[in-house]
Amino acid sequence: MAQRDVKNRIASVKNIQKITRAMEMVAAARLRRAETRIAALRPYAGAIRRMTRQAAEAAGDVPALPILADRDQEQRVALLLVTADRGLAGAFNSQIIRAGTRTGDEYTAEGRQVVYYATGRRGVSSLTFRNRTPEQGFTGFTERPSYANAREIANVLTAAYIDGKVDRVEILYNGYISPMSQEVRRETLLPLQKATILDEQGAEGEQEEVGGAQALVDYEPEPEEILARLVPDYVEISIFRALLESTASELGARMTAMRSASDNAGEIIDDLTLEMNRARQAEITQEIMEVVAGAEALG
Amino acid sequence: MARTKFHVEVLTPEGEVFNDDVEMIATKTVGGSIGILAHHQPLLAMLDPAELRLYRSESETVRFAQGEGYLQVAGDGSVLILVEDAHDPTTLDTAELAEQLRAAEDAFAKADSHSEEQRVAARDKRRLEAFQRIAEGG
Repeated sequence: MAQRDVKNRIASVKNIQKITRAMEMVAAARLRRAETRIAALRPYAGAIRRMTRQAAEAAGDVPALPILADRDQEQRVALLLVTADRGLAGAFNSQIIRAGTRTGDEYTAEGRQVVYYATGRRGVSSLTFRNRTPEQGFTGFTERPSYANAREIANVLTAAYIDGKVDRVEILYNGYISPMSQEVRRETLLPLQKATILDEQGAEGEQEEVGGAQALVDYEPEPEEILARLVPDYVEISIFRALLESTASELGARMTAMRSASDNAGEIIDDLTLEMNRARQAEITQEIMEVVAGAEALG
Repeated sequence: MARTKFHVEVLTPEGEVFNDDVEMIATKTVGGSIGILAHHQPLLAMLDPAELRLYRSESETVRFAQGEGYLQVAGDGSVLILVEDAHDPTTLDTAELAEQLRAAEDAFAKADSHSEEQRVAARDKRRLEAFQRIAEGG
């Protein structure tokens, strides 16, 4: 390759490296914010759990709500795939799509009907491409999901469950472990298990005694009615947590992907620089030889 | 005369929005408007979308547009408020609210009667209407 061509290639690889470095930095900054938001949800989720326990104690038991009912026949299964609006994040999106379609195929093989739902443009378009068009897609917020987004998704899925359109709802998302690692998690959203709600350990491990459980507590309305609203909140909170973890995982995956892209670009630049030096030396040698040959011819 | 103060914490899924001592709280439960002073009897109440007012003193009030939530008065008189949304009333965008309200009304009209879908739309509508009133009331 001629010296000029190599020079051009080095310049373009350097440009790419600048872009990937910038994307890495942006992802790292957003990742810190996403981590803060996961932490901010914990006190709320813990308090909802404590109130549910208190109301359940007062009511004697958790009332038989429609979302708690286990159905004998789980004929139709809904799968919610949590992906991102954007790519450039390594295997982030593809591993969810792969796990989701595999799960769906297993259910289909068992003779059940599978209904797909997806968040993120990547999930919606991949599923559509694979002839598994989602029943409904939720897009445009995956870089910064709000609780309202989680509520919207929860409302759609809960309504589908209660109105009998599906008998079971599962969610697949990238759980956040660290900036460098995510894992595909598969959880059942509906039906809710009573044990999950009253889980004594409480995911947060807060064992604070509710202000004098013996004291006379006023309930407005009756504890049963409060529970009828508290329990569905678990679905919203679970989805919100999954969205937040998925966002953090996406940013972590993008940061890692962009870092290796930058490193890769660095290696290519080193190789090309070597090649360019070689080409330059070859040209110089060539010229010297020509000069010497010319001098000899004259001599 | 200054009233006795008590501790209030307001939590949303997106983080804490208030954590301070106040003289009085005014909000709305499913049963109606409620005012809470210090040494209130232990209570667990379900909140409806409305304006939440926290009186630091007679002249200083912190206001929020609250979504659905819960209010708990603990045995020691401290109050914990959990709400799905808590917006600064001055940041509410009436045009955006009107648009969301229209979408909720459409969804309500399209849903089968007595379905869960319709109940959800009705809940959205009620929240958006409450926020609209707060935004207009200034």
